[in-house]
Amino acid sequence: MAVSSPLKAQHMSTLTSSGPAEPSRLRVVLGMLWRDKFATAAVIFLLIAILCAILGPALLTEAATRQNLRARNFAPFSLDQGWLMILGGDALGRPLLARIIVAARNTLMIAAGAVALSASIGAMLGLAAGYGPRWLGTVIMRLADVIMSFPSLLLAVIVLYMLSPSVGNVILVLAVTRIPVYLRTTRAEVLEIKERMFVQAAQVMGASSLRIVFRHILPMVIPTLVTIATLDFAFVMLAESALSFLGIGIQPPEITWGLMVAQGKQYLANAWWLAFWPGLAIILTTLSLNLLSNWLRIALDPAQRWRLEITPANKIGGGKANG
Amino acid sequence: MPRYASRIISSFASLVLLLVMVFFLSRLTGDPAALFLPDDATPQMIEQFRELHGLNDPMIVQFGRYVWDVLHLNFGDSLRQARPAIEVVTQAFVWTLWLALITMALVTAAAVVIGSLAAFRPGGIFDRIVTFTSLIGASAPDFWVAIVGITVFAIGLGWLPTSGTGTVWHWILPIAVLFIRPFGLILQVVRGSMVSAFGSAYVKTARAKGVRDRSIIFVHTLRNAMLPVITVVGDQAAALLNGAVVVETIFGFPGVGKLMIDSILNRDFNVILAAIMVTAIAIFVMNLLIDLAYALLDPRIRT
Amino acid sequence: MKRTTLLLSSALALALPPLAPAFAQEGKDVTIVLGEDIDLMEPCMATRSNIGRIIMENVSETLTEYDVKSGKGVLPRLAESWEDMGGGTWRFHLRESVTFSDGSAFDAADVKASYERASSDKLTCETPRYFGDTKLTFDVVDEHTIDITADPAQPILPLLMSLVTIVPSETPVEFVREPVGTGPYKLASWSPGQSVVLERRDDYWGEQPAVEKATYVFRTDPAVAAAMVAQGEADLAPSISAVDATDSETDVSYLNSETTYLRLDSAIPPISDKRVREALNMSIDRDAFVGTLLPEGTVPAVAMVPPTTLGWNPDVKEYPYDPEKAKELLAAAKADGVPVDTTLYLIGRSNLFPGVTEVSEALQQMMQDVGFNVELQMVEVAQQEELYSKPFKEGRPPQMLFVSHDNSKGDPVFSMFFKYDSNGRQSGIADPKVDEMIAKASAATGEERTKDWQELFAYLHDEVVPDVLLFHMVSFARVGDRIEFTPTIATNSMLPLSEISFK
Repeated sequence: MAVSSPLKAQHMSTLTSSGPAEPSRLRVVLGMLWRDKFATAAVIFLLIAILCAILGPALLTEAATRQNLRARNFAPFSLDQGWLMILGGDALGRPLLARIIVAARNTLMIAAGAVALSASIGAMLGLAAGYGPRWLGTVIMRLADVIMSFPSLLLAVIVLYMLSPSVGNVILVLAVTRIPVYLRTTRAEVLEIKERMFVQAAQVMGASSLRIVFRHILPMVIPTLVTIATLDFAFVMLAESALSFLGIGIQPPEITWGLMVAQGKQYLANAWWLAFWPGLAIILTTLSLNLLSNWLRIALDPAQRWRLEITPANKIGGGKANG
Repeated sequence: MPRYASRIISSFASLVLLLVMVFFLSRLTGDPAALFLPDDATPQMIEQFRELHGLNDPMIVQFGRYVWDVLHLNFGDSLRQARPAIEVVTQAFVWTLWLALITMALVTAAAVVIGSLAAFRPGGIFDRIVTFTSLIGASAPDFWVAIVGITVFAIGLGWLPTSGTGTVWHWILPIAVLFIRPFGLILQVVRGSMVSAFGSAYVKTARAKGVRDRSIIFVHTLRNAMLPVITVVGDQAAALLNGAVVVETIFGFPGVGKLMIDSILNRDFNVILAAIMVTAIAIFVMNLLIDLAYALLDPRIRT
Repeated sequence: MKRTTLLLSSALALALPPLAPAFAQEGKDVTIVLGEDIDLMEPCMATRSNIGRIIMENVSETLTEYDVKSGKGVLPRLAESWEDMGGGTWRFHLRESVTFSDGSAFDAADVKASYERASSDKLTCETPRYFGDTKLTFDVVDEHTIDITADPAQPILPLLMSLVTIVPSETPVEFVREPVGTGPYKLASWSPGQSVVLERRDDYWGEQPAVEKATYVFRTDPAVAAAMVAQGEADLAPSISAVDATDSETDVSYLNSETTYLRLDSAIPPISDKRVREALNMSIDRDAFVGTLLPEGTVPAVAMVPPTTLGWNPDVKEYPYDPEKAKELLAAAKADGVPVDTTLYLIGRSNLFPGVTEVSEALQQMMQDVGFNVELQMVEVAQQEELYSKPFKEGRPPQMLFVSHDNSKGDPVFSMFFKYDSNGRQSGIADPKVDEMIAKASAATGEERTKDWQELFAYLHDEVVPDVLLFHMVSFARVGDRIEFTPTIATNSMLPLSEISFK
């Protein structure tokens, strides 16, 4: 997106290259993170979520799938049925806490998979469209238009019908619909970067196109892509949830947070917790990612980075001067 | 204007490609006969249905017939509704168009005002609150927000009708639900863009020249900060023009999103194709308008 | 820009609270909120529920009607009386001085034309399915008398005529969107996707119903439909989900004629073994569902048709929940080399009824608990349809389809052939004795017909075990406080406005 201004080369090197001369780079980054308390909280939450995704299914699948009709729609905040029931039980009396933890894997896997897939395909196509011959650029851009206008719902139904509603296929559907975003951004950046001095210089010196693209241009584009990807992660989670709501997403007995919200929706009037907790998990994750992305945008932007590098006392003064 | 001519031609080419893809792919997803006819339809009835709608012909023959009809501006009849598909679609599209226009107008106005205010003092209390609440809003699944909205405002407080169309009041809840997500996004863009514009050379120059009036700085900055905003507004509007499926489904709003999901589930191919065509053309027109807006705002592009 | 937004938002904030939406529900008008939109308003498609709920017996009428309320059987409607002339011929005496809503008079020629139109090969009407291979000939005796001859003879012809809607003979042979009928209402307006308005006719032949104008609106989400009645935006929501039926003042439950069951594919091992099918039946604790995942009032099923149907057998008892016995049966089958460990696919459909996913998951667990290896798949309607109806795919795995069947028409003949005959499109069995019994019962009349069907139901349930019958389902209607309405087992497929009265 045009928001994130293109970065200058010298700053890039400090961020991407981790030379042996900088043993405390991690500390610098952590220090910058600590300056932004929201971002710190976000990172901690995301780490917990990832931990759940990794360990949850192995530890809690049994508890999360065992039905108990007597604990059906069991109200939250009670330890009568064990600590797993602290968030209440679902329509089949399964503990919501356990289900949310187990569902973290599918949810994060779908979002991460879709984002990684669309970002890498989109970036490759974008590089080709921006640096390749003019006709190729035109063809790729028109292709992006086609993908943009292809209804994602139809795509979902086609994939569901011809393949099956598995995690992998839902990733595929979501990834395809997000490709144009990365493609267009990458191309726009490439068009701008390739006019710069150092690229021209590399061309004059006879570097191959592949080398220029991957050694010189791609590293310049990646920060922007990372920012978009963090935001997109949130978008994809919500899209997955909407597909579940319409009945054409992940199908039970697989679980995701989105599916849990969609299933709990009908009980909203008399058992609000069924839809609320997984909804809260989605909100907290997307919120964390948004906060993290805000932080990243500042941390990666040389014009604003000072905000995270100076002491709090100076920061107040700086803020005033700026306003 | 050769630039626009070539653009129209290439966009037309991608529209054609899109329709061809949809034509063949949608036909791979099963037989509309079984869905139109009852469970206990006899095999003869199914055969008759397929024969009557030309579904027994080889795919390529069906395609040829469709192309021929389209060249005569006939987009076929809806399988379900027994009337021209294009009529079904335009009727629904008018609703979606209004919904998208009103929502985007409100979102843009609100995001620009609030985003600029937040950018005056980045990291300030107002900025933090605005950013945080808009992010929370934008992170919630829309069907969830819609149901909660109905529960609170229609059932609990009784201020608004639950759903449907008819009066102005019927539009408020759907628009409010649609408002939230693009608002959070555009607000962030406006804010980010204004923050960097405030720090940029020309604002500093203006200040150095002794321009003290905040409003002048504001207008000056806004004009330059609007460019990225317009791009995002365009993207979001395009998404809305494709139909707000979830909101339309819940509120019983007869827009193109609901039509699309119904036609996809019923395999009403002609309606799917017509709907894609109409929305694609609308999005194309909107992109042209956005280019014009760009040119108006940025003198460099205008020349 | 800033000022406009401020103005607008403050205007909204100020104007909202006092303006509680008032809805014109004056006089004798009603608003009915339905869950499924109407796509066509074609009389020959009126047996499809989304169409029938609006036009059946409101706009379009039939020669006879089946009484679901008090069990009086087939009642006269446009035909005043009928008699069996023998040799497959029935004579219908038609009501006189009946007019269509376009002003033309109703006579015997219209009956003939209506049937011919509905079975034309230029249309894909629903009507022909009820007649199958039976050929009907219409002889107009005079203006108000018509002989209908069925070949082969059709003992329930008067009942079948309750499914043939009558249109004027001038009606074009193409799907219409503005139906003309003899009913008490005529179509006033239709805004697709939004509403349908029916208005009472002054020149209706029969008793004037109380409702003057009916507006139908459509909401997919049952919670929204329920809220509309609660808020006074609508008077009747004939089908809301059980979780939303929280107000005992307004919400009534009724048996809705849907029977859910697992269609087993008896051609594929291990389901081909009868002991395995029995074990499946015994593994399910049907009673545990009632009042928990399914609403109170749901009836465990012992037949494909609801208990109000002719020939339903009260002596057939549901399979007891007996996991021990089920395990024994499985072990015995295994000892005989039946591959009982094969994965069975339980295939549900996402929108079958509210909460279907939870019910499917519970079924899966119950079967797993007795030792079956069950994988659950939830699919979309078109996908399930492909597995549900013949021709079945070669090399398919053992499948159990979680499906539902609707028969509110009073006679099992509408279900049994295509669900159980060897040639039935959705039959999972091929049993010559069953075929014979179906043919015999279909041709029988009177007491004998009842007895034949009863024998078939007992034989199927106890001896053949073709499927896992689950439940006769209930629906909930929310009835607003202005009107009085009692839903019946047929409410799902037709909703005569004459049954609504005002308080």
